Amino acid sequence: MAQLGKGKLNYRCPSCFMRDLDIDMFLDKDTGIYSCIRCQFRGDEAKVLEWNEKVRERYGAMYERFSKFDFD
Amino acid sequence: MDKFVVNIIHRPEMVPEYSATVTGQGKEEDIGDKKLITESLDIFKTQQRLAHENGLKVTIQMTYAALFNEEAVEIAKHDHEVYGDEIALSLLGLPCEEFREKYKTKDFCIWMFSMEDKKAIVNDVFEKFHDAFGFYPESTGSYYMDADLTNYIKEQYPMVKCAVATCWEEGPKAYHTCNNSWYTLFDGGPWAPWIPSKQNTHAPAANAAEDSGIVAIPHLSRDLIACYDGNGSNFGTHPQNVLRGMIYDTKTWEYPYLYNLIDQYRDLEKYNNGYAYNMMFVGPGWMNKMGRWEQPYELLLKSYSDGCAYYGKLKKEGKLVDMTMSEFADYYREKKGVNAGNYNEPECAPWRDILYGSDKQVFWYCDPYMRACVNMDQGGAIVDLRPYVAKLEWPVGIGTKHVQDASYPFLIQEKYRAGYFTHYAGAGTVRSAKLSYNGEEVDLCLCPTKSHFSEEMIDGKKNRILTLDPVEIKFNGVTVKLQTKEYFEEGASNIKIERNILEISDPSAEVYLDEYITACYGTTEYPEDMTGITLKADNETINYEYKCRDAKVEGATEVSATIPAIQTKVSMTASDKATGYIEEGYAFSPMFKLGYKKKISDKEVFATWLNLEKAN
Repeated sequence: MAQLGKGKLNYRCPSCFMRDLDIDMFLDKDTGIYSCIRCQFRGDEAKVLEWNEKVRERYGAMYERFSKFDFD
Repeated sequence: MDKFVVNIIHRPEMVPEYSATVTGQGKEEDIGDKKLITESLDIFKTQQRLAHENGLKVTIQMTYAALFNEEAVEIAKHDHEVYGDEIALSLLGLPCEEFREKYKTKDFCIWMFSMEDKKAIVNDVFEKFHDAFGFYPESTGSYYMDADLTNYIKEQYPMVKCAVATCWEEGPKAYHTCNNSWYTLFDGGPWAPWIPSKQNTHAPAANAAEDSGIVAIPHLSRDLIACYDGNGSNFGTHPQNVLRGMIYDTKTWEYPYLYNLIDQYRDLEKYNNGYAYNMMFVGPGWMNKMGRWEQPYELLLKSYSDGCAYYGKLKKEGKLVDMTMSEFADYYREKKGVNAGNYNEPECAPWRDILYGSDKQVFWYCDPYMRACVNMDQGGAIVDLRPYVAKLEWPVGIGTKHVQDASYPFLIQEKYRAGYFTHYAGAGTVRSAKLSYNGEEVDLCLCPTKSHFSEEMIDGKKNRILTLDPVEIKFNGVTVKLQTKEYFEEGASNIKIERNILEISDPSAEVYLDEYITACYGTTEYPEDMTGITLKADNETINYEYKCRDAKVEGATEVSATIPAIQTKVSMTASDKATGYIEEGYAFSPMFKLGYKKKISDKEVFATWLNLEKAN
């Protein structure tokens, strides 16, 4: 197996992101698998994108537009 | 007239911090890579175009590297003439072939150099700037500007009047997010512009003698809840930071959060005499043609276009004034009353969650004597406290005790020192109160509520007041309805907390109130040596030795802790006779506690003051 490199986009590990860690992942160009060098996350692009949507679940008001900021 | 002011800042950085490692992955380092330099300049031109197309003035912060680039210099001159942009000088962006050759180091953060190097670099870049433009800059900045650096710049180049001087709560949390490799450790500063003291950048000046001579602005305007408990670099007025946080719809590429953040800052003018502030400063590395993490270049570009367009729209609607940094410095000193001799006008920021959907609310307060955070979700407990009154001299950089750590020390920090909740044993830092009845005890930290802001003159003194919605504490057999009011008297260096007992369902019940502060000191998550701290309750004294001792005095006039390591004395005093107590901690709970206990009655009003003093 040749060394890992960067993909077209520079995906971060979604599992680490969920614990507030920005860690770039590296790509095995032969298998299309991204892997985190800190935790045990591995997955193809589809899995990365799916997990990135899970990341967003914490942002319960991400799609809301606020017009009131006090509680008066 | 109400004003929402924005500073838009661009820097032509020839070797952007992130581009060099992101696009350069798998290649040997080449700091003079011509392709990278050309691309960086293109990004700068794009940023300038987007701001100007939206009618916005820019402060161009020339980097050292850019001063060697004729095209960058010509663009700055042109845009100054045509658009009124200010040409300023950044102490970011030092890396380039010339810098490496001269200083023989890969260090690039000005506050971390030795004082000798700081002086040499300042002289070098300011003179190089003068060679390029024929004048000296009025504005400068970095991610952090330590007091010694600022004082030296003012001494050598007195025309400098504005500087980007800190990033709000960019400390251990940002360090961790970057896999413990990004050494920007400067928690504990103001979130909005301020006048730094000569002694410590983070601590605002209390008078003309302490005035460093500059107006400091924060690097970005950050979310005052999300940044406190998360990676600051995801939640600021930096469109690509919002993308970094993945706070956008992947299908539509929309990010309402960015606009909510700007609008919440706009709303702060209600609490600050009709003034509010924003700063947007995106380095070229964030608009990399290769994309940035999950975001392709097109999305990076769109987000910056949208950011400029939103500020531009507000300007067209008369809701925003764009200023250059030096213009803002003049405006700020006048608006805050500093020109008339008043350094004490505080910055106030009631802030609600606009991202997670929780409705949580906090209140941030900053003046020359303290920075405090009141958490309404914990019944109005103070969950962060920085004793600026000590004006702690804290040199940073190589050759000092703090090579990297520029944070202003805390007495209370609920994330680094637990706050109300601890695991199994010990206590965390917080200023709260407990009610007890017949063996039951309830801490107000478990009584979420909301607050309302007002400004009132009391005994001829200006007070900013938080009035919290009443809460009910239900014991077995008795219910207590209580309302909290918190007073921040301008220039007083204290916080008065008043408990109004609105109703006790059984007026004959013996209900007790325990007003307390649990505190320590530090700048990171890890404990410091507590020996040397002296606890006092009138004539009772405990010298801290981790022995878990305590003492109490009926009717104590004051309970206090003196912390020599941060030259601070914190004390409590009470409005009525109560039992003052002091508690030493132990190794597994390296805290101290001060407080007052008393029996309360229906309709009673009891107040305590938390006082901060400098202790030499």
